[in-house]
Amino acid sequence: MKVGLEIHVSLPTRTKLFCSCKARGDEDGPNSNVCPICMGFPGSKPALNGKALEYAVMIAAALDCKLSKLTSFVRKVYFYPDLPKSYQITQLSDAVGKSGKLELSTGKAIGITRIQLEEDPAKIIRGDEYTLLDFNRSGRPLVEIVTDPDIRSEDELRDFVAELRGILYHIGVDINEELKADLNVSVDGGERVEVKNVTGIKALSDALKYELGRQNALAGKGQEIKRETRSFDEASMKTISSREKESDEEYGYIYETDLTDYDISRLHVPKPVIPGRIAKEYAKRYKASEKAIREQIMLSREALALMDKAKGRHEMNEIIKGIELLKRYGRLQMGYASFEKLLEAVSTGMLIDEKTIGKIEKGESVGSFKRISDAEIDDSIRKMIMDNEKLLKEYGKNNKVFNFIVGKISKEYGVDPRHVSDRLKAVLDEIAK
Amino acid sequence: MSGSIEEFHSKKAGDGYYERLEAELKKLNAELHAFNNITLLNTGGYPFSAKDNLCVEGVETTASSRILKGYVPPFNATAVERLLKRKFTFIGKTNMDEFGFGTFGLNSDEPARNPFNREYVTGGSSSGAAVATSVMKYHVALAVSTGGSISAPSSFCGVVGFTPTYGLVSRYGLLDYGNSLDKIGIISRSASDTANVFDLIRGPDDKDSTSVSEAPKKEKAKKNLFVIKELLKGETQSYFERFCDKLRGLGYAIGEVSVPDIEKAVQAYYIISMAEASTNLAKYTGFKYGYKNSGFEKGYNEFFTEARSNFGVEAKRRIVLGTFVRSSSVRSKYYDKAMKVRALLTSRLSKTLEKGNIIIPAMPILTPKIEEARQMDSVSVYKMDISTIPPNLCGLPHVCFPYDYAGGMPIGAQIIGSHFSDNGVLEFVQEWEKTFKYKFKYDVGAL
Repeated sequence: MKVGLEIHVSLPTRTKLFCSCKARGDEDGPNSNVCPICMGFPGSKPALNGKALEYAVMIAAALDCKLSKLTSFVRKVYFYPDLPKSYQITQLSDAVGKSGKLELSTGKAIGITRIQLEEDPAKIIRGDEYTLLDFNRSGRPLVEIVTDPDIRSEDELRDFVAELRGILYHIGVDINEELKADLNVSVDGGERVEVKNVTGIKALSDALKYELGRQNALAGKGQEIKRETRSFDEASMKTISSREKESDEEYGYIYETDLTDYDISRLHVPKPVIPGRIAKEYAKRYKASEKAIREQIMLSREALALMDKAKGRHEMNEIIKGIELLKRYGRLQMGYASFEKLLEAVSTGMLIDEKTIGKIEKGESVGSFKRISDAEIDDSIRKMIMDNEKLLKEYGKNNKVFNFIVGKISKEYGVDPRHVSDRLKAVLDEIAK
Repeated sequence: MSGSIEEFHSKKAGDGYYERLEAELKKLNAELHAFNNITLLNTGGYPFSAKDNLCVEGVETTASSRILKGYVPPFNATAVERLLKRKFTFIGKTNMDEFGFGTFGLNSDEPARNPFNREYVTGGSSSGAAVATSVMKYHVALAVSTGGSISAPSSFCGVVGFTPTYGLVSRYGLLDYGNSLDKIGIISRSASDTANVFDLIRGPDDKDSTSVSEAPKKEKAKKNLFVIKELLKGETQSYFERFCDKLRGLGYAIGEVSVPDIEKAVQAYYIISMAEASTNLAKYTGFKYGYKNSGFEKGYNEFFTEARSNFGVEAKRRIVLGTFVRSSSVRSKYYDKAMKVRALLTSRLSKTLEKGNIIIPAMPILTPKIEEARQMDSVSVYKMDISTIPPNLCGLPHVCFPYDYAGGMPIGAQIIGSHFSDNGVLEFVQEWEKTFKYKFKYDVGAL
C-alpha cells in the first residue's frame, strides 16, 4: 500500500492572504470580513501578506525543504460557487519549498513533495432547500503540505500527523481543530483513490482504515480498484464515491501576473524547532526515555524552554518529572529560577503537590530537603508489615492494602508515593523469596 | 504646468461651464458614441474621462460588456483616484471594444464613430477615449493598452496616445484583459498635457504589486532614430517615408534596423493575452455583480453558462482559444513558447534602443471604413496590430501621434523608447508639435 497526503493548514495571520480583511473573527457574522479583493470584484488586485509568506517559509524550512530563491504564484482555474474569481491563487513549480522530509518517531523519513501558499475559498453552507456562501473564509491563508506516497500503515499515518503537529505547533500553527486533508490511497495492483476533504486528525485515521479495508477486500476478491475521488462521511465512518476520473483534472495553470516573484532569501525567519528530533537527541545525550521527552515537549513551548535551560545541569529524568508536575498543576509559566528550586525538591524524592509548587513560586521554604534513604523507607515498610500481620493476610485478596501502606509511608516521610510504591514492591519481592 | 491645462485654468471657466459641457457632449455623443455614460462627478477642474474598463466609484463600469451591465464599483482605480485628488473633473466613461478585445472599436454594442468621417473606424480598443479627445478642446482621457489599444485609435482619430513603461502606472481598478500586458496610459491633444498628467498618475501603489518604484528617466528627445525594416510596408509606407525625410530635415539621424522574427510578436501576443484573458474573464459568472440570471434555482453550471452567453463573439473566441493554450497537453507548445518569443524580442529591441529611439508607423493601413473592417476575418484583424504589438509585448514606452493627413483622415506614427524612457519619447513628440499643427473637427468646451 501507498499513502500520500495533501494537508491544508490554516495560518494564524491577523489579515487574509491578499487583502487587509480580518482572517479570523467568525464571531463577526457571515460575510462581514470581506472587501472587493476577497470577493473577487472586477478591478481589484491581490497584494501578498508578508507574514503568511514567512509562515510558509518557516514550515518549509522545518520540513527540510529546498527553498525556492524566488517564489511565484499561479492561477488554478475551475468554476465553483465558493471561488469568487473562478480561479484560486496558489503555487506550483515555484512553490515556497520542495523536496523535503519529515522524520517519524520510528526514524523513517516521509518525503515532502511541496509546500505551497494559497488562498482558502469561501465557506459553503448547505441546507435542504438552499446553499449559502460565507466569504469571511475567502482569501484566508493556507499552506498546503504535499507528501510523497511514502506512508505504509495507519500507525505511520498517526505518527506522521503527530510529528507534523508538533513541528507546526512550535512555529505557532495549531492544526488540532483545523486540519483538512486529502488522502491518496492505493494498494498493490490497484489504482490510486483520492479521499477528499477529510477534517480532523481522528477522521483522517478512520478514513484510511476504512479505505484500506475496502480496497483490500476488493483486491482479495480479485476485483478492480477504480481510479476515483471519494469523500469521507464521519457519521457512518465510510468513504463514498464522488466521481470516477480517467486522468488528472485540467486546471489550466497560468502565472499569476498580478503578483511578482518574491525573494525568500531576504526573509529573516527563526531557525526551525523540530521537537521529535530534539527528543531523540536529548534522550541519547542525557540517557532518558525519548518517549517521555517527546510527550513533554511536543506540544509545549514552555516545557521545551525549561528543558533547554536545565539540560546538562540536572538529571534529565528529574527535568521530565519537574515538567510533568508543572503540567499537572497548570504552572508551566514558571520562571527558570523557581524551576531550579523545583528540580532540587524533585531530586530529594519528596512529595510535591500543588501547595509545594505554590510555595516554590513565592520563594518560600518547602521544608526539609534532606533526602530520605531507600534503606530508611524499606525499614519502615518492613516494620509496618511485621506489626500488622492481619494486613499481610489481606494482601492478595485486596490491593487496597498496598495503596494503604504506600499512602501511610509517603505521608510520614513526605516522599513521592510512586517512589514508595517502587520500594514496597521491592520489599515484598524480597519477603516472597 | 504648461499646455492646455494651464491655459484652461488661466481662462477661468465660469459658472455654468460644466453644465454646458455636459449638454453639448450628450448631444454629440448621440451621434459619435464616444461615451458609455456621461456623468460629471465634480466641477471646477480640468475635464478627464476614463475608459470604461477603469473603475470609478459609484459610476457604472461595464468594459462595454453586457455581462457587466449594471455593475457599479465600490472603489476608484488608482489612476482615477489620483486625478480626482488633484481636482480634475471626471466627465464620464468612454466606449471601447468589449474588455479591450479589438483593433477597430467595432466590438461594442454601439461602436464609436470617427469624428473626421463617421463612415470610418475609430480604432480600438480605446475607441471612445480617442474620439472624446478628438472632439473636446480641454480634456485628457485615461485609456488602456494591452497590445495597441491606445496607439490604434490615436492614429485613426489624430490624437496623441501615450503608453507608459509597464509598471509605472498602477493597474489597481482596471478590469483586466492581460495582466502582464495591460498598461494605463493617456490620450490627449498634446504631449505636454500628457507629460503633466502622467506625472500625477504614475508612481508605486501598494494595491498593485507589479507597480514599480523606479521613476522614469529625466531625458530629452534622442536625435538618433531607427526604423524597423520588417515593419515598413503597406498603405502607409510612402506617407511614413516622407515623414522620415521631414525628420531628417529637422536634424534627426534615421537608421534602419532589421529585427528578425518581429512578426512572431503577433502570435506570441495573442497566445499570452488570450491565455491571461480567459482566466480574467472566468470571474464573470453572473453571480455577484453585473448580469443577473432570472433565478438561483438552477445548478451552478447551468447558472453561469447562462450568464456567460452574454459575452460578445470576440470575447467568447478569446476565452475558448485562451483556455485551449493553457491546457496541460499543449501548454509547452503555445504558452511557454510565446513567453520565450517575448523574452527574445525584448532583448532584441532593447539592443537597438540602446543606440536611439525606434520610430515606426502605428498602423499598416490607412483608416478603413467600418464596412471594410467588418468584412475582415479575425486573423487579418489581429495582423493589423503588427506595429503596435512589439512595444506592448515588451513593456516599452511609446507615443502614437499624427504626422500627416490622407484624404482628410489622420495618420499616426509611433516613437518607442527603452524602459523608463517615457519622458524621452514624450519630449520627442513635443518637439514635433512645434513644427506640425494637429487638425480637429470639433472643439467642444472651448473657452
